[in-house]
Amino acid sequence: MKNVILWLFGIEESALSDPVTIAAIIASFAVIAAVIAVFIVLAVKRRFRIREWGNKAWQRTKLITQSCFFMLTNSFMVGWFKGTIYQGKLKYLCVPGMNCYSCPGAWGACPIGSLQAIFNDFDAAKSWVDPKTGTYVKVPKYWFAFYVIGLMMLIGAVCGRLVCGLLCPFGWVQDLIYKIPVKKLRLPRDEMRIANSKHPKAVRFFLGLDKYLRYAKYAFLIVMVIFLPLMVKADPWFCKYVCPSGMLLGGIPLMSMNKSLADAAGSLTLLKLCILASLVVISIFLYRPFCRYICPLGAIYSFFNKVSLYRYGIDDASCNRAKGCAACAHACPMGVDPVRDPNSLECIRCGTCAASCPKKAIRPGFRFKTAEGNAIRTKKSK
Amino acid sequence: MKKESKTSRYLIPAALIVCALAFIVTGILDKEVLTVLRKAAAICMECIGLG
Ligand code: SF4
Ligand code: SF4
Ligand code: SF4
Repeated sequence: MKNVILWLFGIEESALSDPVTIAAIIASFAVIAAVIAVFIVLAVKRRFRIREWGNKAWQRTKLITQSCFFMLTNSFMVGWFKGTIYQGKLKYLCVPGMNCYSCPGAWGACPIGSLQAIFNDFDAAKSWVDPKTGTYVKVPKYWFAFYVIGLMMLIGAVCGRLVCGLLCPFGWVQDLIYKIPVKKLRLPRDEMRIANSKHPKAVRFFLGLDKYLRYAKYAFLIVMVIFLPLMVKADPWFCKYVCPSGMLLGGIPLMSMNKSLADAAGSLTLLKLCILASLVVISIFLYRPFCRYICPLGAIYSFFNKVSLYRYGIDDASCNRAKGCAACAHACPMGVDPVRDPNSLECIRCGTCAASCPKKAIRPGFRFKTAEGNAIRTKKSK
Repeated sequence: MKKESKTSRYLIPAALIVCALAFIVTGILDKEVLTVLRKAAAICMECIGLG
């Protein structure tokens, strides 16, 4: 038993003589047990059957799920108590969401950080010093990240962006900030609704721009996560110059607990704090700006939305769209119209539309047909 | 509208899952996991804004 705990927590035997470590280990188990209990209760009460609950009840279930998953994956309490990070073997595995591996509580690795680490790795035996310039030319050790891409592919093929809707800590943080009750900026994505909206011309221009800005996350993925770390080496570019999740979950807690780290803060810290602060402010008014425009992980999962096992589908026989209903499209915080495209790249599978449909015509899940035998359409409508 | 075939609804994800598992095994055999652990088990200075 003792050896299992030492292995699991990645600590030396001598650490067990420290009462703080013992208390932290007990706290970790308590958090994990509590989270598992909550998930069991939610499952037994059928709270995950989105369509059976109204939107209000579903939003509560969603928030509980997001909070619990955050607690589960960040329950290495030794780190939180002592200002360190987890160094055990579970870090071989990546967690599904944007969860910095430098978060004191994180049990697993961040998939985007790991992807860059693999592209950053170089083969010392093949690398050489250019005699003309004197620079050290690093030859990549891996040209393709089979392990991390395989893990992301597995998650994507099973559930697509369901991770974004329910499991990602940074998505959860943005959801919490968006709860601040002020007037929100809603961005419908289709031109008709933009043209008909009552906003002034300048705002309408931005509404139109939003559609194109959403491609920026693919640019971040290609340039900062793949190209620069692979070809220029040295740095995990996205982590270093952009990622606000690293600053929020890793930087702020670690620096507040370690004076030596806080003393080392400089211009880069300021840059990352500014990015984080801007996103926090924008998140008050606009739903999930980071997920819309920046997140490379959301960009990767988005490719799987249309081909994953778990999909959104429309029971066209029940849907009232022909009679003018658009309750789902109005409810969608990401500006997607699920009836038109139930598995849009932009859909984070938050379930809001399915919980808001008065006809229960939106069918998230694995099924092909409804119990009544109606076909479930998962493709775009014509 | 063209009806969705059951095959495409389930076969594509199944093929992707098999492919993903093959990738994971390849990565493990290629020792990519060691690079992941090495990076993840130390405080990442870039992540926390210290460069
Ligand atoms: S888009 Fe990125 S940050 Fe947003 S929920 Fe998805 S993985 Fe998390
Ligand atoms: S809310 Fe339901 S009934 Fe109305 S358009 Fe959307 S899917 Fe159809
Ligand atoms: S279409 Fe919109 S409301 Fe429905 S699950 Fe996707 S993001 Fe959420």
